[in-house]
Amino acid sequence: MNVSLKRMNAIFQKDLKDFSRNWAVSSVILMPIILGALFGRTGVQDLSSHYLLINLAMAMVAMFVQCCLIAEEKEKNTLRGLMLSPASSTEIIGGKSLLSLIFTIIVIYVTAMLADYRPANFGVVAAAIILSTLFYISLGTILGLFSKSVMEASLVVMPVIMVFSVGSFITNFVDSYPILKVALYLPNIQLIELATKVEAGGGFGDVLVELAIITGWVVASFIVTVYLYRRKMVD
Amino acid sequence: MSLQFINAEKRIHDTVIFSSFDLSITGGKIVAIYSSVNVREQLINLLLGKTILSHGELRMKENGKQQIGYFFLHDGLYERLSIEDMLKFTKRLYDSTMSVNDALVTVQLDAKRSVKTKNLSYSEKKRVQLACLLMQETSIYIFEEPDQNIDLESKRILLGIFQQLKQQNNSVFILTGNLESAITAADEVFRLDENGLHPIHTSSDAEVDASSESEESINTAESVLPVRFEKIPTKVNEKIVLFDPPEIDYVESNEGQSFLHIQGESFPSTSTLNDLEARLLPFGFFRCHRSYIVNLQKVREVITWTRNSYSLVLDNKDKSTIPLSKSKMVELKDMLGL
Repeated sequence: MNVSLKRMNAIFQKDLKDFSRNWAVSSVILMPIILGALFGRTGVQDLSSHYLLINLAMAMVAMFVQCCLIAEEKEKNTLRGLMLSPASSTEIIGGKSLLSLIFTIIVIYVTAMLADYRPANFGVVAAAIILSTLFYISLGTILGLFSKSVMEASLVVMPVIMVFSVGSFITNFVDSYPILKVALYLPNIQLIELATKVEAGGGFGDVLVELAIITGWVVASFIVTVYLYRRKMVD
Repeated sequence: MSLQFINAEKRIHDTVIFSSFDLSITGGKIVAIYSSVNVREQLINLLLGKTILSHGELRMKENGKQQIGYFFLHDGLYERLSIEDMLKFTKRLYDSTMSVNDALVTVQLDAKRSVKTKNLSYSEKKRVQLACLLMQETSIYIFEEPDQNIDLESKRILLGIFQQLKQQNNSVFILTGNLESAITAADEVFRLDENGLHPIHTSSDAEVDASSESEESINTAESVLPVRFEKIPTKVNEKIVLFDPPEIDYVESNEGQSFLHIQGESFPSTSTLNDLEARLLPFGFFRCHRSYIVNLQKVREVITWTRNSYSLVLDNKDKSTIPLSKSKMVELKDMLGL
């Protein structure tokens, strides 16, 4: 498949314009930033609250925005036109994901600055966060493909946002309910573990397991997305 | 540059949607298919590759989805983008050589270029959609109910664009459930149903004569016999309803049956169009097309879409438009003393 950057860029710019005028969706990006400022000013400094924020930012921005972008195309009947155009599905999803990715990275960076989070090893943490963002974006794509309207999309993402942001507290219950050990392999919890190791002075070599698990999630969600896209979008 | 249906037939669960027909649409032609909604949707799904034919095949030369441009009845615009942004996006997406300005001027929206599409009227949205379609610069254009619910000005633009596409040697294929619009827009009109494909221009008169001759003699015998009185009989559920000629807006012949249109309702007539023409002529009626007789008293406007296509607009509450063929236009001009 020949991916044309020009077309992908066209879709990206169109979505950027559309997104910036769509306050109902674009205002969510302010939420993690405001929370971050609040946490920073009140002096909440432990790692788990930083990562509550970062996970929230990823879920809110990457997943929610991506999900709404796709659901709106479906709701307004514009996806069919896009599918019939020379743009391939990779270019369509790519253009949209690019928008979510850029916004997520900016929001996480600003949030972390405001919350006074300075990772010990910027490179490792940044790589892990970008990988996780990819996972959330493809999760958002999956949810967007399932929902028929923006309304439905925003409802559907809520429980998933809960699982991946507040769900980080699950670690506290693992001792009493051993079955929850499965949850420790979730990407958000892996990200926290990775960050803990980094704070303890770990480099790339020490966090390979966590990175591998997160990458596994990314690959799995990509496969599911491609499969679903083929099934749902034969239009 | 051509689209060919060869022996095409479609059935769904043992019901025939349309029986086998051959049709080829080549460059420089405007072809319309007049059909029910069901048939239209099936045809569109076929072209999109969502369903396959039960028999026969569909051939598109210069294969690939890029070759066909669609004008769907329900198609969305990005409502927060302005018309200009929308067109710029389409231009980039299709790598088009047409300038945004040209497209805007063609659909006469250059004055509204920075208006967001959600603030436009329905007809204007359709025109934006049309401009986006022109941007695609393909060779086959497929229109689904192109002039449904749009205003007169937009219809004029639309018909102008059809002619323009025709001159550029593109194929235009119209799918509609509205006979008037099919006849006004296209060079060749076909009716497609479970009995197959029938050309409308050439054979509709002959059919009318043949099919309703027999029942006509039985039904109208009693009402016309004793005195020659001037009422036109119609048949509604075994009842015979009589109408005064001046009440009638126009008469249409459809699938071999003539229908009287009176205040937005249509009543099947027992007579053929030729008989009706003879009886109605003294009341100021006029055969404006092979399949239409119009009450000239009710005509408000004569619209010239292009040099070869005309319509009459009536002064009834629906503002019905009826096609006027080129040869009849000459006759009408004589009658009006122009």
